[in-house]
Amino acid sequence: MFHNTALIIANSVYQLLTAIHIKNALLPGQEADILVTDATPALQSYLPRLRETGLFHRVIRGQTAEINRQYGAKIEEINEAFQNAGSLLRWALSDELAEYAQVYFANFDLFTRMLAARLGENCAFTGFEDGFSSYVINFLREDRAPVNRHPDGIKIKEKLHKMLLYEPRLAMRGDGLPNLPLPKIPRRDPGLRELYNYVFDYKPLQEGADFIFLEQSFAADGIKSNDLDLMKECQQAVGPGRFLVKPHPRNPENRPFALGLSRKYASAAPWELTLMNEDVQNKTLITVCSNAALTGRIVFGLDLNTVMLYRLFQGKVLWKEDAVLWRYLLKFRRQFAGSNYYVPQTVYELRNILHYLGGEGRHEPTCSTC
Amino acid sequence: MSQPVQPVKVSVIIPVFRVENYLERAVDSVLAQTLAEKEIILVDDGSDDACPQICDRYAREYPQLVRVIHKQNEGLGLARNSGVDAAVGEYVAFVDSDDAVDCKMYEQMYQKAKEADYDIVMCDVQIHYVEENRTATVPTYPGEEIDLPDYIANGNNITYSVNKLFRRSIWEQNRYEKMLFEDIALIPALVTKYPHIGYVKQPFYHYYRRANTISTTFTGAMVDIVRAFRAFIETSDPAYREEVIYCAAKQLYWNMTQSRALFLPDFIQLLQQYKKDFLLNPYVAKDAKIKKILDFIPQEVIPRRFICVHFGAGLPQGYRRRLEECFPAGDVVDADETYFAAHQLPQPVRLAMEHGQAGFAREYYALRILYEAGGIVLDPDMQANLNLNRLRTNRCFFGFEDDEALSTGCYGALKGHYVIQALLDSYKEDNIYNKAFLPLRERLRDFFMLHFGLRPNGRNQLLQKEVQLYLPSVLAYDMQDGENCCKRVPIPIPEGYELVSRPVLKMWSTRLMENWNLYKQALNGRPAGEPPAPPGAGLSDAQWERRLQEVVNTYEQSTCWRITKPLRALSQFLAKLFGR
Repeated sequence: MFHNTALIIANSVYQLLTAIHIKNALLPGQEADILVTDATPALQSYLPRLRETGLFHRVIRGQTAEINRQYGAKIEEINEAFQNAGSLLRWALSDELAEYAQVYFANFDLFTRMLAARLGENCAFTGFEDGFSSYVINFLREDRAPVNRHPDGIKIKEKLHKMLLYEPRLAMRGDGLPNLPLPKIPRRDPGLRELYNYVFDYKPLQEGADFIFLEQSFAADGIKSNDLDLMKECQQAVGPGRFLVKPHPRNPENRPFALGLSRKYASAAPWELTLMNEDVQNKTLITVCSNAALTGRIVFGLDLNTVMLYRLFQGKVLWKEDAVLWRYLLKFRRQFAGSNYYVPQTVYELRNILHYLGGEGRHEPTCSTC
Repeated sequence: MSQPVQPVKVSVIIPVFRVENYLERAVDSVLAQTLAEKEIILVDDGSDDACPQICDRYAREYPQLVRVIHKQNEGLGLARNSGVDAAVGEYVAFVDSDDAVDCKMYEQMYQKAKEADYDIVMCDVQIHYVEENRTATVPTYPGEEIDLPDYIANGNNITYSVNKLFRRSIWEQNRYEKMLFEDIALIPALVTKYPHIGYVKQPFYHYYRRANTISTTFTGAMVDIVRAFRAFIETSDPAYREEVIYCAAKQLYWNMTQSRALFLPDFIQLLQQYKKDFLLNPYVAKDAKIKKILDFIPQEVIPRRFICVHFGAGLPQGYRRRLEECFPAGDVVDADETYFAAHQLPQPVRLAMEHGQAGFAREYYALRILYEAGGIVLDPDMQANLNLNRLRTNRCFFGFEDDEALSTGCYGALKGHYVIQALLDSYKEDNIYNKAFLPLRERLRDFFMLHFGLRPNGRNQLLQKEVQLYLPSVLAYDMQDGENCCKRVPIPIPEGYELVSRPVLKMWSTRLMENWNLYKQALNGRPAGEPPAPPGAGLSDAQWERRLQEVVNTYEQSTCWRITKPLRALSQFLAKLFGR
């Protein structure tokens, strides 16, 4: 019997957003299950509403975080994981998996690799975008991780045939996989917006701001950095009334609020929904390097004022050490970002940019006859 | 004017200008000469003190010996020329009106002249260092007879007019030029052209060296010294070219390294002009010390050119005059908005002009002229002084306006310097500086931070051995520490006052306090005592201790403190060793 059911795996809010979009745009009328994992705990709260939409045949809950954490590092652990894959998967998932013709996924974690090893030979795997890394990192390179040298761990490579990216021309992974376009999310589509708003229980931001700083998960990841200093610098440059920090959901506390750098950001909805619902054309997004700041451009085709602070960032992070990722940022800036995309290289330049975007230094031509 | 009766053997010419306290000593010393057949010609060079009256008195009292010429002030050289024109003596001598001569000087030198019909006779010079109350004799030549090539190469006092007796006919074809250092321009060349020279080995001439004389004070006009060396080289007899070049090299060495380093850039340009002569000179090649000046030859020098861009108005009143005082040979590029055609300008600059952002466009003009011609950009409200000349040995220089911002009132660069080119190129890019028409200082600071590792701390920094950055006290504000080259004078300031911005004053005060505390610590070998209370005093002991530690850390991290650390350690060790 021929099965044409698809499975889409979502580990984060961004992936869930894209998963819904894939189902809507690429798999209309096709039966599809969605597997929502606990990699981002907040996702679990969206599951009932997601089920209610009826968009997916089944909404499966997966407790995969523990598997990925416990078995990922050493070859013995990987052996053990693949030997016990059947039990582990059954234990982790809320439902039995079906026979799938296609699996859409974004992360090359152990759980996904176990699926690839367990599912039939006719099941094709398709990667979909999950921010910077989907464009620049060859996750299956043999020397990248022990799991890539494991016969079962690398089986996913045989089944993976393409990557779906919102901006395929930015891809620079070097893995030889075809990069196919993922259509932009139609931001103005009221039906889709309503769907998203329902799933994510969107509530409009009550008090917005002209400058929104998108915090990242450095604190949650234990990375010492100057992100708070940068927020302070921005706040002082634009004035407190115009500045708001959107805290990262994974950070344990809202540090910018606690330190008096920002008002409380009174919305738990994904940033992308804010972009879909609010008038953001006159706002400025500031971030160290958050993919969310580029979402407007990449996912919706919006040309927002965006100030990327990665050149001013002090801290040990992947994109500072990975030359490819750095080149991606450069490529994005040079080939893709519009004239509203700023990458200040000194704190003085940052101040000048924020003053300018805040209205200072914008000049109208003088009238020669006046 | 009465004429002397006897045939005059020696005419002694004394130019007189503002020397009322010394003139009588000079004249009396000549009157006391044992040589009877002499005349004294006092040339009053428009002196505005009591000198004209003193001169006239001498003429009245010694009508047979003393004649007076009153003329308008034209400088020493032309005063001497006037004296020569009036002289009737067989030989001519010069005395500076604040010096004196031994009573036997002209008798013995005239006798020497007649012995072999010499064109020139020389004697030794005794220098009186007035403030130091000491004297030194400078022998003109080690031997008794002059071997001219050896004398030009190795002798002393060659440039002096005053230790020589000249056959008057020499002056029929030679004259002093209107310039400072007219001696250097003329006398050594005369020595080469009239090689039949006698020598009396006696220190007859007394040269009184004091502060505030032309030898010891600096004015812009002193750049004439370069002109003087050029004249010496050009007008000397080519037969002595090698000796002349070596003689000039010795003089240049002394001037470049000790007495007139202020004019180093001008001396370097002179060396470059006669590059082959200096590089191939056998005397220079053998003289390890003098040879060091050859190291300067490859050094590029910023041209003596000042760039002033002003839109909608002419050069500000007094701008050119003030420059002329300090840089008389300076070239001024006076540019207004028509200097470049609109189609030659990058779009942001054209837009800036359309938007009435003249300051943005002016700064671009200045940079571009600087790139195309080289020189020093000097804004209309900036006032330069002679010290600025030193900075011409940089390849590219800028200064801090305060402890963070850079100044764009005065900066300079070599022609075609790549930093200026890069800055100009940035005017064609899509960046915040062009979008917001930001002032050049913002572009500069970020550029230097990114490409040259600039630390925005208001301190001197040499960036990658290419770009020199100076303290605010050098190119923006005069803090009266002798380092200032240029200051901002947007409004007239009363004499004795300086206009200083608040951040700079604060920065300066902080540094003075830091230095004071460290000095005391180093001196006493213990922590500083109670420091002077700053504004907002009332800190606890612990706060003071922390503050002090910050100051110590700041200073210890400074370059000068680190460099001198071994020296201080050594001095402490020696002090212990010798019990003090």
